[in-house]
Amino acid sequence: MLKQKNENKTMTTPLIGVSKSILKIKELIHHVADTCLNVLITGETGVGKEVVAQCLYIESERSSKNFVKINCAALPETLLESELYGYEKGAFTGAHKNRSGKFQMADKGVLFLDEIGDMPLALQSKMLHVLQSGEFSPLGSEQEFKTDVWVIAATNHNLEDSMAQKRFREDLFYRLNIIKIEIPPLRKRKEDISPLIEYYLRLYKSEYPGNHGEKPGSDTLTKLINYPWPGNVRQLQNCIKKQMILKSWEKIFDELPKEEVKLSTSTKKGRKSKKTKTLPDTKNADTPASIISEFVDLSTSSEKLFEDISLKKIKKLASDKVEKEVIYFVLDKVGWNRSRASKILKVSYKTLLYKMHEFKVLPPV
Amino acid sequence: MTDLNRVLIVDDNKDILSTFYEFFNSMNYEVKTAVDGLAALKILKDKSNCFDCLITDLVMPNISGVGLIAIVKKEFPDMKIIAMTGYGDQPGALASEAEADIVLFKPIDLFKIENTVSKLLSENSDNNEKHD
Ligand SMILES: Nc1ncnc2c1ncn2[C@@H]1O[C@H](COP(=O)(O)OP(=O)(O)O)[C@@H](O)[C@H]1O
Repeated sequence: MLKQKNENKTMTTPLIGVSKSILKIKELIHHVADTCLNVLITGETGVGKEVVAQCLYIESERSSKNFVKINCAALPETLLESELYGYEKGAFTGAHKNRSGKFQMADKGVLFLDEIGDMPLALQSKMLHVLQSGEFSPLGSEQEFKTDVWVIAATNHNLEDSMAQKRFREDLFYRLNIIKIEIPPLRKRKEDISPLIEYYLRLYKSEYPGNHGEKPGSDTLTKLINYPWPGNVRQLQNCIKKQMILKSWEKIFDELPKEEVKLSTSTKKGRKSKKTKTLPDTKNADTPASIISEFVDLSTSSEKLFEDISLKKIKKLASDKVEKEVIYFVLDKVGWNRSRASKILKVSYKTLLYKMHEFKVLPPV
Repeated sequence: MTDLNRVLIVDDNKDILSTFYEFFNSMNYEVKTAVDGLAALKILKDKSNCFDCLITDLVMPNISGVGLIAIVKKEFPDMKIIAMTGYGDQPGALASEAEADIVLFKPIDLFKIENTVSKLLSENSDNNEKHD
């Protein structure tokens, strides 16, 4: 237990940033750190959700107790359940002795539920029950334990969408969403990039005094600031680390995946890449962008692009394409005997005719 | 007797906010407004302010209405609280759990809500008189 606490103390990172959104988040942290109200932190992977959770903990009255983290996406359902609530000896094969769960370890402290959006539905119900009643019982135990934990949850999912798809319980959402902290992606707060580089350069230099990391020159810095950072601060961190070894910001920038740059920066209208189609480069034929470009025109402006992209539409286009291929393939094999083909494809004769018409599948002349 | 009743109105919908502001102003209240829970909390923590009643929306960015109610109940236990919601039952149930005095479902008639406020506040002063 003590070990866990100490580990966390050394891991604590200050929330670096000067953007409006980070300043607002700092202010919010300051105002709610002592309330112990459930918190939901949202944002893309690598934006700093855990950093924010730690800041809340450090500023709270609970900072002398444990900060316990559990990643709800990393474990299969049964394991996640026993990790959360613990179990009693004999609860299942292999349970040779009692084991306390994260709820117990976090008592009077903070329980950080990372990737809550990936929690299986059955465990969501149990979680809801625990948050409502303030009590839980370990697996295989009749005894109810009172909990006093501050629950901070995080997710990179849009839980509104998950709720619409019935993959996240609405009642659990509202119970967690008492304080909502939304961290924008790094590309939407470019002012933070320079301070982050400075902070981590200094940190890594102090950790590896032998290495000579250097600040990027102003041209490179501009390029770095305009890069869309799909992996957010974590990706930036990795670049800074690499730079300590390669000692060339130019090289680091050149190595950054640019395919994604084209996709994401097309948010800014009128990029130079306007006319460059992403597809023809056969070497990259299987990159996500090239697959997508089969169904939508990626070279248009982002407004138009985002209008064109719809999962339903793309699903239809993609499945149509495959269906057409398969129908052609089978018809060709059976000498265009449509009744045989329909039996093989396990659809009615009428459906086949309809599809042949729709996809313009015609026998070779 | 000359003191006006002071209400703080919180809603992330600016149109609703200004409608409420105008209305309560015209009904002789002293009114302040906030666009979300954090803005409201900052106004509440400002010592120069003092409110008899909080009227708050529930689903808002940063500090939700439910969060605001919980904080207010703890730090300003005398303040009357009216919660308003347009999002089905969940947030409303949580607001009751957080001990809002009254939970109303949108759309809400302005006269009705003013009536509710004035009733709540007169209960308050009745109680005070009994205690005095
Ligand atoms: N604002 C920030 N200031 C300092 N470090 C940050 C900041 N945001 C993210 N980081 C660092 O970037 C990495 C990813 O952050 P993390 O909190 O794990 O992201 P998430 O939980 O959103 O995936 C961590 O090493 C973290 O320390």
